[in-house]
Amino acid sequence: MKISTITGEASWKYSPPDPVIGFDIGSRGSKGVLLTPDSIYTSFVPTGLYMQETADILLKQLLRAAKLRRRDIAFVVGTGYGRISLAYKDIPYQVVTEITCHAMGAHSLNPRTRTIIDIGGQDSKAIKVDPATGKVLEFVMNDKCAAGTGRFLEKAAVLLGLELHQLGDVALEANEPAAISSQCVVFAESEMISLRARGERHQDGAARANIAAGIHFATARRVKSLLGRVGTEPDLVFTGGVANNPGMWFALETLIGAKFARSPIDMIYAGALGAAVHAGRHHAAALAAGTARPRPTPVARPRRVTPEKILVNSQNG
Amino acid sequence: MVNAHTSLPSLSPDLLPVHALIEAEQKEFIGAEDGVQRAGYFCAYTPPELLAAAGVRHARLFKAGSPEIVANGERFTQSVFCDFSKSCIGGFDKNEGDPLYQAVDKVFNFHTCASMKRASEVIGQFVPTTLLNLPRLRDQAASREFFREEIIHFRDDIAELAGRAISDDEISAQIVLFNKARRLIQRFSELRKRANPPLSGKDFLELARGYYYLPPEKLLATYQPLYEKLSAVKDDGKRPIRLMISGSEMADGDRRLVELIEDEIGARIVVEDHCTGLRPFTHTLREDGDPFAALADGYLDQAPCARMKPLDDSVHFSGGLAKEYDVEGIVFVYLKFCACYGVTKLEFLNYFQSLGIPALEISSDYSHSDHGQLKTRAEAFVEILNDRRADAVVAAD
Repeated sequence: MKISTITGEASWKYSPPDPVIGFDIGSRGSKGVLLTPDSIYTSFVPTGLYMQETADILLKQLLRAAKLRRRDIAFVVGTGYGRISLAYKDIPYQVVTEITCHAMGAHSLNPRTRTIIDIGGQDSKAIKVDPATGKVLEFVMNDKCAAGTGRFLEKAAVLLGLELHQLGDVALEANEPAAISSQCVVFAESEMISLRARGERHQDGAARANIAAGIHFATARRVKSLLGRVGTEPDLVFTGGVANNPGMWFALETLIGAKFARSPIDMIYAGALGAAVHAGRHHAAALAAGTARPRPTPVARPRRVTPEKILVNSQNG
Repeated sequence: MVNAHTSLPSLSPDLLPVHALIEAEQKEFIGAEDGVQRAGYFCAYTPPELLAAAGVRHARLFKAGSPEIVANGERFTQSVFCDFSKSCIGGFDKNEGDPLYQAVDKVFNFHTCASMKRASEVIGQFVPTTLLNLPRLRDQAASREFFREEIIHFRDDIAELAGRAISDDEISAQIVLFNKARRLIQRFSELRKRANPPLSGKDFLELARGYYYLPPEKLLATYQPLYEKLSAVKDDGKRPIRLMISGSEMADGDRRLVELIEDEIGARIVVEDHCTGLRPFTHTLREDGDPFAALADGYLDQAPCARMKPLDDSVHFSGGLAKEYDVEGIVFVYLKFCACYGVTKLEFLNYFQSLGIPALEISSDYSHSDHGQLKTRAEAFVEILNDRRADAVVAAD
């Protein structure tokens, strides 16, 4: 996709001089963003057991979409839970934390961003961003427990007999959100079970919606507590996989008492986009210092279909 | 890089003889069959001068960091006790405890926080334990008078354990010796004021650890030449990110945050404001006059734990140390459920902020399951500090 259709401007100050990639290898899902001087490509796969393999799948998908070869990629930055598991012999590679990357990803699309709430599969973060630079001023991250994360919502969906992507919409149908007081995923699960047991049969649908809404509010309360030191200065931006959940969007806006800014792309890609922006900067710095990877020869070579490629395609089903 | 699974810690080679000396001392504490009594204590407000004067073997009991020992102790407590207090109890378990703890004949505990007071009451079921009072109001004359009396009770208790009287001259002589050890350890720390310190934070923790196991004569004989060697190290021009660690104690055996910051991320801990780092070595005791008044004043005047009042003293000391060592960031870390640092954290963090020093707050325990999250936090913090450094360079141009 052309960058200009996203940003609405002819030139984007974060465009790299050559194609670069950002990978955000999360605990549940892995995201890739490929930036060229004028375009952006995104790709998503569930994180596999072997993170390098997951990143290789993302890389192949991105190259295919952008019609580029591996040797065209000037720089890769990895972020997220699996960032340290990646290694490249042939492409310059750097690791940057997801906190720095989410800040840059959100900032590059919306320079008015001052506060970010990021909810991923296993952690949630509140980040205060400098609107002049996109740099992190302050951040708070949840404890090691799963309360206030996507994993908690995933568990809740299973208990309610719903697919994860249905959970938020069901919650929005609630007329009276159930009171879920436990901040602990294990205790909240038993609270849900007893709430479900109390729901009368002919009211199952309504009871389910109320429980779903209760779960979203419990999670949102937990996330809101992270905002203490970071504040809620607008623009407020919601990133991470859970940003796709309308029930969570509603619960957070209600509790915080402020609206999130709309983003031009799916903000599950915020971390990977930030990583790609950092990759572009590293590459530009290397070009300036004369240490950049040599540019590929302009001779187009026929693309060979290797057995490896066939295997990857079949994995993608 | 992290040596969690090897027997040797990832210390610099210069520190390995110190490490070996400490291990040998512990072995002797456990195995010696000479009839000398063995005393253990928990808190840095305990004056080891008196234990040394009585000629008993003594060690600070602050080994912790293993989840198994925590689980041993948790059988006696609620879950909301900190992992350190659980470890203190767990160490005394007859079957699965720590051999050093099992060898102890008598435990002395100056009452600091509620968890440790209760822990020492449980430990009293396993081994004779004396609980002593430590006044909170350090700025009042009556506190000093009371603490002096308490220290005399402590002396009497030790004399009973040792089976002999302890003279005032013996105590005064030990005050002089321990002062020498404290001063030397502080001088090691001062080497860390250099842009590229010749010893890591982990190395310094090892030197501080030795203070709690080694008799001061032995310590001075080994540390003095090491100091000469390290102070002669040439600066190689590197300037690692400088951090302070502030907060609750970092047990002997709990090195994962320090290893993460220094070995994996490459920043340096140049100073600690906690009772197992530099803090107890920033003050010395009067060497003349009444030794009990010298001990009472000396220990009350030392850099204060957050359990002391007024809290401002602790907060300002911490900020002052950060400035003195020119740190770029502070990692404020406390054990979950810590009744001292867990509830005073905002006063510390707000003060650091008012000084313009970025701070990272970490609450941790000994469960080892949060390595990834700790790493993300510490790494992101160092990224911010690197950015600030780059911005400062640009601003200066």
